[in-house]
Amino acid sequence: MPEHNEIAAYLVSTRELNQKGANVSQSELAVAGAHGIVMEASPYGIDKKKLGMWVFIVSDACTFGAFLFAYGYMRVGAPVWGTPFGFSSILNGMVMTAVLLSSSLTMLAAVRAAQTGGKASANKWLGATMLLGAIFAALHLREWFKLIGEGWRLFYNPTGGAAQFGATFFSVTGLHLTHVVTGVIALGFIARGYNRGRYDESHVETAGLYWHFVDLVWMFVFPLMYLMNAH
Amino acid sequence: MASNRELTMGSYVGIGVGLMVIVTIEVILTYQHLPARTLLFSLLTLACLEAFVAVMYLMHVKYERPLLFWTIFPATLFVLGFLCYVFPDAFRMFDMRLMK
Repeated sequence: MPEHNEIAAYLVSTRELNQKGANVSQSELAVAGAHGIVMEASPYGIDKKKLGMWVFIVSDACTFGAFLFAYGYMRVGAPVWGTPFGFSSILNGMVMTAVLLSSSLTMLAAVRAAQTGGKASANKWLGATMLLGAIFAALHLREWFKLIGEGWRLFYNPTGGAAQFGATFFSVTGLHLTHVVTGVIALGFIARGYNRGRYDESHVETAGLYWHFVDLVWMFVFPLMYLMNAH
Repeated sequence: MASNRELTMGSYVGIGVGLMVIVTIEVILTYQHLPARTLLFSLLTLACLEAFVAVMYLMHVKYERPLLFWTIFPATLFVLGFLCYVFPDAFRMFDMRLMK
Protein backbone atom coordinates (compact mmCIF):
# COMPACT_ATOMS: atom_id res chain seq x y z
CA MET A 1 0.00 0.00 0.00
CA PRO A 2 1.79 3.22 -1.05
CA GLU A 3 2.20 6.13 1.33
CA HIS A 4 0.33 9.37 0.75
CA ASN A 5 3.41 11.17 -0.51
CA GLU A 6 3.99 8.35 -3.00
CA ILE A 7 0.44 8.70 -4.29
CA ALA A 8 0.90 12.44 -4.56
CA ALA A 9 4.07 11.84 -6.56
CA TYR A 10 2.07 9.85 -9.06
CA LEU A 11 -0.73 12.38 -9.27
CA VAL A 12 0.68 14.33 -12.17
CA SER A 13 -1.61 15.64 -14.84
CA THR A 14 -1.92 13.91 -18.19
CA ARG A 15 -0.52 17.02 -19.83
CA GLU A 16 2.64 16.85 -17.76
CA LEU A 17 3.04 13.20 -18.66
CA ASN A 18 2.66 13.98 -22.32
CA GLN A 19 5.19 16.77 -22.06
CA LYS A 20 7.58 14.14 -20.78
CA GLY A 21 6.91 12.16 -23.93
CA ALA A 22 4.74 9.64 -22.06
CA ASN A 23 7.59 7.14 -22.04
CA VAL A 24 6.23 5.70 -18.84
CA SER A 25 4.53 2.31 -19.10
CA GLN A 26 0.85 1.89 -18.35
CA SER A 27 1.60 -0.22 -15.28
CA GLU A 28 3.83 2.49 -13.88
CA LEU A 29 1.04 5.00 -14.29
CA ALA A 30 -1.60 2.89 -12.60
CA VAL A 31 -1.55 3.45 -8.88
CA ALA A 32 -4.06 1.99 -6.48
CA GLY A 33 -3.58 4.06 -3.36
CA ALA A 34 -4.80 3.80 0.17
CA HIS A 35 -7.89 5.79 -0.86
CA GLY A 36 -8.54 3.69 -3.93
CA ILE A 37 -7.10 6.30 -6.29
CA VAL A 38 -6.37 4.92 -9.73
CA MET A 39 -4.33 7.04 -12.10
CA GLU A 40 -3.92 5.85 -15.64
CA ALA A 41 -2.79 7.83 -18.64
CA SER A 42 -5.29 8.30 -21.44
CA PRO A 43 -4.49 6.00 -24.39
CA TYR A 44 -5.22 9.02 -26.59
CA GLY A 45 -2.63 11.19 -24.85
CA ILE A 46 -5.12 14.02 -24.33
CA ASP A 47 -6.87 15.26 -21.22
CA LYS A 48 -10.47 14.39 -20.39
CA LYS A 49 -11.87 17.80 -21.37
CA LYS A 50 -10.49 17.48 -24.86
CA LEU A 51 -11.65 13.87 -25.19
CA GLY A 52 -15.11 14.93 -24.00
CA MET A 53 -15.15 17.67 -26.62
CA TRP A 54 -14.21 15.15 -29.32
CA VAL A 55 -17.12 12.91 -28.28
CA PHE A 56 -19.44 15.94 -28.44
CA ILE A 57 -18.06 16.87 -31.88
CA VAL A 58 -18.71 13.34 -33.20
CA SER A 59 -22.32 13.42 -31.97
CA ASP A 60 -22.82 16.94 -33.31
CA ALA A 61 -21.35 15.96 -36.69
CA CYS A 62 -23.97 13.19 -36.86
CA THR A 63 -26.71 15.72 -35.98
CA PHE A 64 -25.64 18.07 -38.77
CA GLY A 65 -25.24 15.08 -41.09
CA ALA A 66 -28.83 14.03 -40.39
CA PHE A 67 -30.09 17.58 -41.05
CA LEU A 68 -28.20 17.81 -44.34
CA PHE A 69 -29.37 14.36 -45.44
CA ALA A 70 -32.96 15.35 -44.65
CA TYR A 71 -32.45 18.45 -46.79
CA GLY A 72 -31.06 16.37 -49.66
CA TYR A 73 -33.91 13.87 -49.36
CA MET A 74 -36.57 16.57 -49.49
CA ARG A 75 -34.82 18.42 -52.28
CA VAL A 76 -34.62 15.33 -54.52
CA GLY A 77 -38.18 14.36 -53.70
CA ALA A 78 -39.71 17.82 -54.27
CA PRO A 79 -41.09 18.64 -57.72
CA VAL A 80 -39.83 22.27 -57.77
CA TRP A 81 -37.19 23.62 -55.41
CA GLY A 82 -36.54 27.24 -54.51
CA THR A 83 -33.37 28.97 -55.67
CA PRO A 84 -33.61 32.36 -53.94
CA PHE A 85 -29.92 33.29 -53.76
CA GLY A 86 -28.66 35.92 -56.18
CA PHE A 87 -25.01 36.90 -56.50
CA SER A 88 -25.28 39.42 -53.64
CA SER A 89 -26.30 36.62 -51.26
CA ILE A 90 -23.48 34.40 -52.50
CA LEU A 91 -21.03 37.28 -52.01
CA ASN A 92 -22.41 37.75 -48.52
CA GLY A 93 -21.87 34.02 -47.94
CA MET A 94 -18.26 34.32 -49.11
CA VAL A 95 -17.67 37.22 -46.71
CA MET A 96 -19.24 35.12 -43.92
CA THR A 97 -16.87 32.26 -44.81
CA ALA A 98 -13.87 34.60 -44.76
CA VAL A 99 -14.95 35.98 -41.37
CA LEU A 100 -15.37 32.48 -39.90
CA LEU A 101 -12.02 31.29 -41.29
CA SER A 102 -10.35 34.40 -39.85
CA SER A 103 -11.94 33.64 -36.49
CA SER A 104 -10.41 30.14 -36.62
CA LEU A 105 -7.00 31.73 -37.11
CA THR A 106 -7.50 34.16 -34.21
CA MET A 107 -8.61 31.18 -32.10
CA LEU A 108 -5.40 29.34 -33.00
CA ALA A 109 -3.45 32.46 -31.98
CA ALA A 110 -5.36 32.55 -28.67
CA VAL A 111 -4.56 28.88 -27.95
CA ARG A 112 -0.91 29.40 -28.83
CA ALA A 113 -0.70 32.52 -26.64
CA ALA A 114 -2.35 30.65 -23.74
CA GLN A 115 0.08 27.72 -24.12
CA THR A 116 3.06 30.07 -23.93
CA GLY A 117 1.61 31.85 -20.91
CA GLY A 118 0.76 35.12 -22.61
CA LYS A 119 -2.43 35.91 -20.73
CA ALA A 120 -2.95 39.40 -22.19
CA SER A 121 -2.27 38.15 -25.71
CA ALA A 122 -4.60 35.16 -25.27
CA ASN A 123 -7.37 37.46 -24.05
CA LYS A 124 -6.83 39.80 -26.99
CA TRP A 125 -7.13 36.94 -29.51
CA LEU A 126 -10.13 35.45 -27.72
CA GLY A 127 -11.78 38.87 -27.93
CA ALA A 128 -10.99 39.04 -31.65
CA THR A 129 -12.52 35.56 -32.14
CA MET A 130 -15.68 36.61 -30.31
CA LEU A 131 -15.92 39.79 -32.38
CA LEU A 132 -15.57 37.85 -35.64
CA GLY A 133 -18.16 35.34 -34.42
CA ALA A 134 -20.55 38.20 -33.68
CA ILE A 135 -19.93 39.69 -37.15
CA PHE A 136 -20.65 36.28 -38.72
CA ALA A 137 -23.92 36.04 -36.77
CA ALA A 138 -24.91 39.58 -37.83
CA LEU A 139 -24.23 38.80 -41.51
CA HIS A 140 -26.19 35.58 -41.17
CA LEU A 141 -29.16 37.36 -39.63
CA ARG A 142 -29.01 39.98 -42.40
CA GLU A 143 -29.40 37.16 -44.95
CA TRP A 144 -32.27 35.69 -42.95
CA PHE A 145 -34.13 39.01 -42.76
CA LYS A 146 -33.60 39.55 -46.49
CA LEU A 147 -35.26 36.17 -47.21
CA ILE A 148 -38.05 36.83 -44.74
CA GLY A 149 -38.57 40.23 -46.40
CA GLU A 150 -38.96 38.45 -49.75
CA GLY A 151 -41.72 36.32 -48.25
CA TRP A 152 -39.85 33.09 -47.45
CA ARG A 153 -41.12 31.38 -44.32
CA LEU A 154 -40.54 28.05 -42.59
CA PHE A 155 -43.45 26.48 -44.48
CA TYR A 156 -44.10 28.94 -47.30
CA ASN A 157 -42.41 29.42 -50.64
CA PRO A 158 -43.37 32.76 -52.26
CA THR A 159 -42.35 31.49 -55.73
CA GLY A 160 -44.87 28.67 -55.54
CA GLY A 161 -42.30 25.84 -55.36
CA ALA A 162 -41.67 23.34 -52.57
CA ALA A 163 -42.51 24.81 -49.20
CA GLN A 164 -39.80 22.69 -47.57
CA PHE A 165 -37.04 25.03 -48.74
CA GLY A 166 -37.72 27.43 -45.86
CA ALA A 167 -37.95 24.58 -43.36
CA THR A 168 -34.62 23.07 -44.40
CA PHE A 169 -32.76 26.35 -44.91
CA PHE A 170 -33.84 27.99 -41.67
CA SER A 171 -33.35 24.81 -39.62
CA VAL A 172 -29.87 23.95 -40.93
CA THR A 173 -28.54 27.52 -40.89
CA GLY A 174 -30.38 28.19 -37.62
CA LEU A 175 -28.71 25.20 -35.98
CA HIS A 176 -25.34 26.45 -37.20
CA LEU A 177 -26.09 30.00 -36.05
CA THR A 178 -27.02 28.63 -32.62
CA HIS A 179 -23.62 26.95 -32.48
CA VAL A 180 -21.87 30.21 -33.39
CA VAL A 181 -23.79 32.26 -30.81
CA THR A 182 -23.25 29.57 -28.16
CA GLY A 183 -19.56 29.53 -29.06
CA VAL A 184 -19.26 33.31 -28.66
CA ILE A 185 -20.93 33.13 -25.24
CA ALA A 186 -18.77 30.15 -24.20
CA LEU A 187 -15.61 31.97 -25.31
CA GLY A 188 -16.69 34.93 -23.16
CA PHE A 189 -16.95 32.66 -20.11
CA ILE A 190 -13.63 30.98 -20.93
CA ALA A 191 -11.88 34.34 -21.38
CA ARG A 192 -13.24 35.64 -18.08
CA GLY A 193 -12.32 32.44 -16.23
CA TYR A 194 -8.87 32.36 -17.83
CA ASN A 195 -8.33 36.01 -16.88
CA ARG A 196 -9.24 35.29 -13.25
CA GLY A 197 -7.04 32.19 -13.13
CA ARG A 198 -9.99 29.82 -12.74
CA TYR A 199 -9.33 28.23 -16.15
CA ASP A 200 -6.03 27.28 -17.74
CA GLU A 201 -4.75 26.89 -21.30
CA SER A 202 -6.40 23.47 -21.66
CA HIS A 203 -9.82 25.16 -21.36
CA VAL A 204 -8.87 27.62 -24.10
CA GLU A 205 -7.64 24.72 -26.27
CA THR A 206 -10.87 22.75 -25.76
CA ALA A 207 -12.98 25.81 -26.62
CA GLY A 208 -10.81 26.23 -29.72
CA LEU A 209 -11.61 22.67 -30.81
CA TYR A 210 -15.33 23.50 -30.66
CA TRP A 211 -14.81 26.72 -32.58
CA HIS A 212 -12.92 24.97 -35.40
CA PHE A 213 -15.73 22.41 -35.61
CA VAL A 214 -18.25 25.23 -36.12
CA ASP A 215 -16.03 26.46 -38.96
CA LEU A 216 -15.84 22.93 -40.40
CA VAL A 217 -19.63 22.54 -40.46
CA TRP A 218 -19.96 25.83 -42.37
CA MET A 219 -17.74 24.33 -45.09
CA PHE A 220 -20.63 21.96 -45.84
CA VAL A 221 -23.53 24.32 -45.08
CA PHE A 222 -22.36 27.07 -47.44
CA PRO A 223 -22.06 24.95 -50.63
CA LEU A 224 -25.10 22.80 -49.92
CA MET A 225 -27.52 25.46 -48.64
CA TYR A 226 -26.33 28.53 -50.56
CA LEU A 227 -24.42 27.52 -53.69
CA MET A 228 -26.79 24.67 -54.62
CA ASN A 229 -29.69 27.14 -54.29
CA ALA A 230 -28.16 30.00 -56.30
CA HIS A 231 -29.88 31.34 -59.38
CA MET B 1 0.08 16.78 -28.20
CA ALA B 2 3.57 17.38 -29.46
CA SER B 3 3.14 21.12 -29.73
CA ASN B 4 6.79 21.57 -30.72
CA ARG B 5 6.00 19.87 -34.05
CA GLU B 6 3.10 22.20 -34.79
CA LEU B 7 3.06 24.66 -37.66
CA THR B 8 3.92 28.31 -37.30
CA MET B 9 1.17 30.96 -37.33
CA GLY B 10 2.35 31.93 -40.82
CA SER B 11 1.65 28.39 -42.04
CA TYR B 12 -1.81 28.50 -40.46
CA VAL B 13 -2.55 31.77 -42.27
CA GLY B 14 -1.45 29.99 -45.46
CA ILE B 15 -3.91 27.17 -44.72
CA GLY B 16 -6.67 29.74 -44.12
CA VAL B 17 -5.92 31.42 -47.45
CA GLY B 18 -5.89 28.00 -49.15
CA LEU B 19 -9.32 27.18 -47.70
CA MET B 20 -10.64 30.53 -48.94
CA VAL B 21 -9.28 29.75 -52.42
CA ILE B 22 -11.23 26.45 -52.39
CA VAL B 23 -14.40 28.38 -51.42
CA THR B 24 -13.78 30.77 -54.35
CA ILE B 25 -13.43 27.76 -56.69
CA GLU B 26 -16.76 26.47 -55.35
CA VAL B 27 -18.43 29.80 -56.17
CA ILE B 28 -16.88 29.87 -59.67
CA LEU B 29 -18.13 26.30 -60.29
CA THR B 30 -21.61 27.34 -59.18
CA TYR B 31 -21.81 29.86 -62.03
CA GLN B 32 -20.56 27.44 -64.71
CA HIS B 33 -24.14 26.12 -65.14
CA LEU B 34 -23.03 22.54 -64.57
CA PRO B 35 -25.66 19.77 -64.30
CA ALA B 36 -26.95 19.62 -60.70
CA ARG B 37 -25.44 16.18 -60.11
CA THR B 38 -21.97 17.25 -61.33
CA LEU B 39 -22.12 20.45 -59.32
CA LEU B 40 -23.18 18.58 -56.18
CA PHE B 41 -20.39 16.03 -56.59
CA SER B 42 -17.80 18.79 -57.19
CA LEU B 43 -18.96 20.88 -54.23
CA LEU B 44 -19.05 17.90 -51.88
CA THR B 45 -15.57 16.77 -52.96
CA LEU B 46 -14.15 20.25 -52.33
CA ALA B 47 -16.03 20.52 -49.00
CA CYS B 48 -14.59 17.14 -47.90
CA LEU B 49 -11.11 18.34 -48.85
CA GLU B 50 -11.63 21.52 -46.78
CA ALA B 51 -12.96 19.49 -43.85
CA PHE B 52 -9.96 17.13 -43.99
CA VAL B 53 -7.52 20.05 -43.90
CA ALA B 54 -9.47 21.69 -41.06
CA VAL B 55 -9.56 18.48 -38.99
CA MET B 56 -5.91 17.61 -39.54
CA TYR B 57 -4.37 21.05 -39.10
CA LEU B 58 -6.79 23.47 -37.41
CA MET B 59 -8.10 20.82 -35.03
CA HIS B 60 -4.58 19.39 -34.63
CA VAL B 61 -5.49 15.74 -35.27
CA LYS B 62 -2.27 15.41 -37.29
CA TYR B 63 -0.32 16.10 -34.10
CA GLU B 64 -2.32 13.80 -31.84
CA ARG B 65 -1.78 10.06 -31.42
CA PRO B 66 -3.08 8.06 -34.41
CA LEU B 67 -5.37 6.15 -32.04
CA LEU B 68 -7.56 9.29 -31.72
CA PHE B 69 -8.00 9.46 -35.48
CA TRP B 70 -8.73 5.75 -35.83
CA THR B 71 -11.20 5.75 -32.95
CA ILE B 72 -13.21 8.74 -34.06
CA PHE B 73 -13.25 9.00 -37.82
CA PRO B 74 -14.12 5.52 -39.15
CA ALA B 75 -17.05 5.37 -36.69
CA THR B 76 -18.29 8.85 -37.62
CA LEU B 77 -18.00 8.19 -41.35
CA PHE B 78 -19.79 4.85 -40.85
CA VAL B 79 -22.73 6.59 -39.15
CA LEU B 80 -22.86 9.38 -41.75
CA GLY B 81 -22.65 6.79 -44.52
CA PHE B 82 -25.48 4.77 -43.06
CA LEU B 83 -27.70 7.83 -43.17
CA CYS B 84 -27.68 7.18 -46.92
CA TYR B 85 -29.56 3.97 -46.24
CA VAL B 86 -32.95 5.64 -46.67
CA PHE B 87 -31.87 8.04 -49.39
CA PRO B 88 -33.05 5.95 -52.40
CA ASP B 89 -36.60 6.56 -51.17
CA ALA B 90 -36.15 10.16 -52.34
CA PHE B 91 -35.62 8.84 -55.88
CA ARG B 92 -38.83 6.80 -55.52
CA MET B 93 -40.63 10.06 -54.76
CA PHE B 94 -38.84 11.63 -57.72
CA ASP B 95 -40.04 8.82 -60.00
CA MET B 96 -43.60 9.24 -58.75
CA ARG B 97 -43.75 12.80 -60.08
CA LEU B 98 -46.26 13.41 -62.83
CA MET B 99 -43.98 16.04 -64.36
CA LYS B 100 -40.21 15.55 -64.13
